[in-house]
Amino acid sequence: MLKVDHLSKQYHDTLAINDLDFEVKPGVVTGFLGPNGSGKSTTMRVIMGLDRPTKGRATINGKVYADLESPLREVGALLDAKSLNPQRSARNHLRALAASNKIPFARVDAVLEFVGIASVANKKVGGFSLGMSQRLGIAGALLGDPGILLFDEPVNGLDPEGIRWIREFFRSLASEGRTVFVSSHLMSEMAVSADQIIVIGRGRFITAGSVDELTASATGTVLVRSNSSDRLRSLLTAARQVEVLNDDALSVTGLSCEAIGELAFANGIALHELTPQRASLEEVFMDLTADSVEYGHHNPELAS
Amino acid sequence: MNPTLWSTIHSEWIKFRTVRSTVTGLATLIVLTLGIGVIICLAIKAHWGDPGSHFDHLLFDPTSVSLGGLFLAQFAAGAVGIITITSEYNTGSIRTTLSAVPHRARLVVAKTVVLFASLTVIGEVVVFAAFTIGQAIFRGTVPTASFNQAGVLRAVLMAGLYVALLTVLGLGIGLILRTTAFSIIVFTTLLLILPIIVNFLPSSLKDGINKFLPANLGSAMYAPLPTAQNFSWGVATLVLLSYVAVVIVVGTVLMQRRDA
Ligand SMILES: Nc1ncnc2c1ncn2[C@@H]1O[C@H](COP(=O)(O)OP(=O)(O)OP(=O)(O)O)[C@@H](O)[C@H]1O
Ligand SMILES: [Mg+2]
Repeated sequence: MLKVDHLSKQYHDTLAINDLDFEVKPGVVTGFLGPNGSGKSTTMRVIMGLDRPTKGRATINGKVYADLESPLREVGALLDAKSLNPQRSARNHLRALAASNKIPFARVDAVLEFVGIASVANKKVGGFSLGMSQRLGIAGALLGDPGILLFDEPVNGLDPEGIRWIREFFRSLASEGRTVFVSSHLMSEMAVSADQIIVIGRGRFITAGSVDELTASATGTVLVRSNSSDRLRSLLTAARQVEVLNDDALSVTGLSCEAIGELAFANGIALHELTPQRASLEEVFMDLTADSVEYGHHNPELAS
Repeated sequence: MNPTLWSTIHSEWIKFRTVRSTVTGLATLIVLTLGIGVIICLAIKAHWGDPGSHFDHLLFDPTSVSLGGLFLAQFAAGAVGIITITSEYNTGSIRTTLSAVPHRARLVVAKTVVLFASLTVIGEVVVFAAFTIGQAIFRGTVPTASFNQAGVLRAVLMAGLYVALLTVLGLGIGLILRTTAFSIIVFTTLLLILPIIVNFLPSSLKDGINKFLPANLGSAMYAPLPTAQNFSWGVATLVLLSYVAVVIVVGTVLMQRRDA
């Protein structure tokens, strides 16, 4: 069980994470989603005991990371695939890790085999591509056969085949009952690879839930067709946005089908169609984090 | 010993011997100690009979002279210690290391043990070799030292220890500063620049400060007979040891407080 308990982290004048409080459950893939600079990597570093929290704490099976006797047997993490000494071979890198947690060396060869880089095990990691380094990082995370796995933007640098492989890999880890916590700034990625999603923005918790729940809770759009679409349009003052699609069709954001139907009925307007458009997860994400984008486009002309 | 400390030492030992920078650093240490030693000894032998060299003959110490290569080799020793930790910060691999060994003090102890043990072995082998080669060069022309003379065996042993202690001093400086360039500058300043600066001071001050400088502590450790201007070898060893201890403790405390 991975628990983040009212965690805050301040760097000089940046409040990187602000009172984050959540639990990551075993048996499912949990996505950790937020725009660039929202504090995902910081949260993971604090969980791993690398950065000291300013307030609160993160616990692994009830203990803070520093108190774990054999941390690699409880938590496996891939935070930055290039955090390696380039002069060392992949095998020696993993052997040093294994030795520190009394993991037998046979396991090193097994994980190298598993991630598909056994053939370059004796090559210096300085020459590895980003994708190969990612695979080595995953091998390191699996070394101690841990129940909790953390991955910070693991898809970066992988080719489509690698991405598919890693998605299936996360699923299989979760189905074995492990806790799998994966960060990404791409909703589209999380939509296909995660079961549960935790959304943060500017270091703050925004929402959490299953992919379906998040989509359902979002303010979707409604397609409305009517002969008197012009009149209807002027009546829809409560809507956040009304877009004219063509002569008789409108796309309405921020009002439910019920509200639109009642309004049309009360004003004697006949509706030919009234259909809720399911918001894509991407739109939900944009919606949720709209106020919290750290490095967003501030030019309204260019904003999507 | 604590089984977890042992496994950390094992891990650090694997890391120490599997990077090229360690091998290069140690090779440099060996080549400089032996190479410079041989050059100095050959030069002295060639000029031993020169007119007007009687005064030199009175002060001549065949032991210290045969170990003269240490003046340069000590920087290789420091660099090996420094790079052991700064390379982890440069590459970011410190984060991987601390994920496996979150206990900072244990990590520093393990790194210290690996460096101190390896460099004691290599240091002793190389200083004994330099001493033996030097005396072989001198034989016949120049007075030689041997282990049955007072203080000679101890002097050579202490020279090896000096090399190992400087390596650990480098580790401590690297822990505090975390960048290779900065650490090398500070290490070089302590051993080379500081003595030059102290030289400009009035002699009343100079003599008091000089004996505390690491390089002079080293000279005291590997001189067979005590000299007037330096500490005795025992005191010098203790002073150097306390420098190393302070730097390592400060480095560990900083590591515990700072983000990785
Ligand atoms: N070591 C540090 N020192 C100072 N500020 C930092 C440090 N690490 C992170 N920050 C700041 O904290 C905030 C959160 O950064 P973090 O890297 O955690 O975001 P992220 O969600 O991982 O972003 P990305 O999607 O770009 O990886 C940013 O404003 C960043 O500039
Ligand atoms: Mg990040």
